[in-house]
Amino acid sequence: MANKNRILSVNDLHVEVEGKEIVKGVSLQINSGEKHAIMGKNGSGKSSLAYALSGHPNYKITSGTVEMGGQDLLEMDATERSLAGLFLGFQYPMTIPGVTVVNFLRAALRARNGNGIDMKNFRKVFKEKMKLLKIDNSFATRYINDGFSGGEKKRLEILQMVMLQPKVAILDETDSGLDIDALKIVANGIVDSAPKDGGVILVTHYQRLLDYIKPDKVHIMLDGRIVKTGGPELALELEAEGYNKLEAKESQKVGV
Amino acid sequence: MSTLTLANKNKRFRGQNQFEPEALYSLRKESWNCFNDLDMPHRANHLWRYTDPKVLLANNPSELMKITPSLPDQTEYNLISLDEAFSGYGYNRSDYMTFAKLTPALEKSGVIFKDLLSATRENEDIVGKYLGNLIGSDFGKFEAMNLALWNTGLFLYVPDNINIELPIRLQRHPSGPNTFHRLLVVVGNNSKVTLIDDYSGECRKEEAQINSVVEIFAGDSSSVKYLNTQRYSSKCNSYITQRTRINKDAKSVSVFAGLGGNVSKTNAGTVLDGPGANSQLYGIVFGDDNQHFDYHIVHHHTSSNSYSNIDFKTVLKDNANSASTGLIRVEEDALNCEAFQVNRNLLLNEGAKAESIPELEILCDQVQCSHGATISPIDKEMLFYLMSRGVAYKDAVNIITLGFIEPTIKNFPGELETLTRELITGKMEG
Repeated sequence: MANKNRILSVNDLHVEVEGKEIVKGVSLQINSGEKHAIMGKNGSGKSSLAYALSGHPNYKITSGTVEMGGQDLLEMDATERSLAGLFLGFQYPMTIPGVTVVNFLRAALRARNGNGIDMKNFRKVFKEKMKLLKIDNSFATRYINDGFSGGEKKRLEILQMVMLQPKVAILDETDSGLDIDALKIVANGIVDSAPKDGGVILVTHYQRLLDYIKPDKVHIMLDGRIVKTGGPELALELEAEGYNKLEAKESQKVGV
Repeated sequence: MSTLTLANKNKRFRGQNQFEPEALYSLRKESWNCFNDLDMPHRANHLWRYTDPKVLLANNPSELMKITPSLPDQTEYNLISLDEAFSGYGYNRSDYMTFAKLTPALEKSGVIFKDLLSATRENEDIVGKYLGNLIGSDFGKFEAMNLALWNTGLFLYVPDNINIELPIRLQRHPSGPNTFHRLLVVVGNNSKVTLIDDYSGECRKEEAQINSVVEIFAGDSSSVKYLNTQRYSSKCNSYITQRTRINKDAKSVSVFAGLGGNVSKTNAGTVLDGPGANSQLYGIVFGDDNQHFDYHIVHHHTSSNSYSNIDFKTVLKDNANSASTGLIRVEEDALNCEAFQVNRNLLLNEGAKAESIPELEILCDQVQCSHGATISPIDKEMLFYLMSRGVAYKDAVNIITLGFIEPTIKNFPGELETLTRELITGKMEG
């Protein structure tokens, strides 16, 4: 089924980590301009799905297909997926001692060979975006995430997204570890700067991020599968009823 | 156990060294006897656990008898012009190709910079007092050999109250199957100097050996910055022994950059010999292919209220291997000293191996010391993080490697930082 608005197409994806199947057949279709939320408890496979889509070598895809803008994502390594327009906002961003934020972003943009921000405007855009995300200028010359608070790390993830201008951004629990003020800043950053004609996948436990970023679709993951898909109201329902009730219902359905 | 059977041919040795003053000849003779009397270092000795001493000794010892120190040919001296980035330039191959040059202003100020053999004749009062004083024939077999046979050397003397702003650059090359470099530096009270001691060049024969000794004496309230870069070609085996002795309120910054060579062993350190003495020792080793590096780094506190820090980093790829032993020794009557050391090793692939042994010999009760060592493979999650931003694998490895050494290198004094950075990036890029 050809859909020219389709930006990301995940079909029956199965993922193994160290020989254990974690993602057990996930399908997800994202059209241009859409924001999807994937919700679920710890261990439901949300983050594994995010890592697998981004090409982490520990997440072995055993079957299924992933296409992004007509390209077979699974043929590519993590670098190539990024260059093709995929972005992963990490739940636990890495600290890289000795590498400054500004040098890292320059290297990442240079790797794009001009597909992204023009290097001539780099400094200007960089400063603007830092201001938008309320990141102090001094962070530019600090080492990546070295001594950053949880909120600062997440803001730096969004800064990277903004600078790299991906087609599809997967934001893995970007809201976790944020206080309410930081959450607002990050959410506004995402709303302002997320790719307008691209797609966003918000992986989260909680409804609260979705108060600021209205998703087009909400998917609920349970034990490696998407068990329910709906509109923004589904997140509210989940918030009210809790995961356990849903889990009980779904377990009955599949007869576990 | 002596594996070397070399007849003591003192007579002939003297005959070949007719330019030398009597005192130097006696010193050589005594050292030569020490060398012959001393056993080959035993592999059980902690300093020789990681490197076979035989590798650093010529297979054919009779070659040693052909070493002929001679007075340098001054004709080349006038041909070299001094780069304006430097205060002085010393070139060192075999003695007749040794020359040293200073800016005219410095020459007038009383600074002496010349080949060591000429200095033993012309500046006997200073050289006699210091030569072999820090690294003498009792230091070890290889050090005794150097003091007996050094055949190419440089001498720098800085009188009191002289601030030499631009660095003095030394270029040292191997020549023939045996090269014995020697450098003697004497810095007066309240004077400042920066030395770039650059070892490079090709060893044409597989078994070429390089043995170098560096002695630096720094007076009260002086400042000595010393950069030792070793970037020999892949056939060279080298052994470098270096000591700086600093007096009251003197400051020493020493940087060792190990990049080249086949088997490279270095024993370097600072003796803190006066209250207020402060020594910073930094090292960066980048090994690849089948290179072997063995660095022993020493801070020896002989005086109370002295401060030292060692920050040593090693990066290894392919099948390279290294051993780093860092020793802090604080004498019984050296009270209230602070001494720290850290050694970190980064392995870029599975074939690379590193050993790290921090050592403390604290003989007094009042001291503040710490040491730390890590050996870790390159972090796969860091690699993934960088790659997920579009950085290619190879570039990600380079970014992480440069990041690993960055916190160390950024503490180097300006001119040494730039140079070390260039050399390391150059080696990384092959």
